Amino acid sequence: MNDEPNLSAEEMIERLAPMLSPRQRLRGIVALVSGSAGTICLASLWVTEPTALPGHTRFAFAAFILLCLAWAGYGGWVVARQTPLFALDRVIAAWITLTASITTSAIIIAVAADRGSGLIPALPAGAVLIAASAALVLRAHIRRAMLLRRKRELTGRDTP
Amino acid sequence: MTDELLVLRCQLGEPEALTELVRDWHIPVWNYVRGMLGADRADDVTQEIWLAVIRGLPRLRTPGRFAPWLFTIARRAVTDRLRQEYSVTEVCAQEEPVTEDAAGALVDRAGLVAALSGLPVREREVLVLFYLEDLTLEDCAEICAVPVGTVKSRLNRARRMLRDHLTEEGSKR
Repeated sequence: MNDEPNLSAEEMIERLAPMLSPRQRLRGIVALVSGSAGTICLASLWVTEPTALPGHTRFAFAAFILLCLAWAGYGGWVVARQTPLFALDRVIAAWITLTASITTSAIIIAVAADRGSGLIPALPAGAVLIAASAALVLRAHIRRAMLLRRKRELTGRDTP
Repeated sequence: MTDELLVLRCQLGEPEALTELVRDWHIPVWNYVRGMLGADRADDVTQEIWLAVIRGLPRLRTPGRFAPWLFTIARRAVTDRLRQEYSVTEVCAQEEPVTEDAAGALVDRAGLVAALSGLPVREREVLVLFYLEDLTLEDCAEICAVPVGTVKSRLNRARRMLRDHLTEEGSKR
């Protein structure tokens, strides 16, 4: 029986490196947010079409929506099961989500206003989307501030 | 630096803190797994544990209680591995005889650690946590999800079994 591990701490850190890379961690968020935003935009375009669409156009819409849903699903799986999101990552992720929510809301409201249909559901949907994202931003900042405060208490000095 | 501060820095997303955390706790985790499963499986399971720890770290609400949390994850990984192996062993047992790895234990420099492998899992677990990892009775109880009194009785039983085992080995020689 060995007294020392075959894998040293440094080797273990190397094996964990892909999981700890910031790019890897934010990849899931980008996939989730862009997939969800794409799904909402395409669905709103389809729903607000003033006339009935031909079969192949409906098929194309459905295919693109499925593609966006697949990206959102992949992103959700990465975020929930694969990579950790630390406090700073959550702040960045929340801001990405808020930006995407504002853009998506602006698109669906503009489309609805332009076509003169669906403005009533588009406005509250956009508001809910933006409010939920803003809540995520707030929560991420509060959590990070709490951790920074505790860190200052433990170190007994100011940190940026 | 305290564990709490190190864990807080990890939760804030400081890469050097994560490196330091792995460096500080790699050997204790590996020792625990080796005590429970043996050296040949310790590296694989230790890696599984670290993956789970890194994934779960942002959600840890009490950074000051890092050690019990870490060993709870380690215990879960060890239990999963034992469960898998028992199910395989049950199938294999009908086909081939089980052989004792006595030779390996004899040549082991750490005789005590080798003797642990002869103990039942529950007793081995509390001995490893309490004596090899230097955790308190309360931490052992939290990790094993049992009351402190149960940990004490398991420790007593484990000590008695280990003593009997070592006495028996000594008389054979």
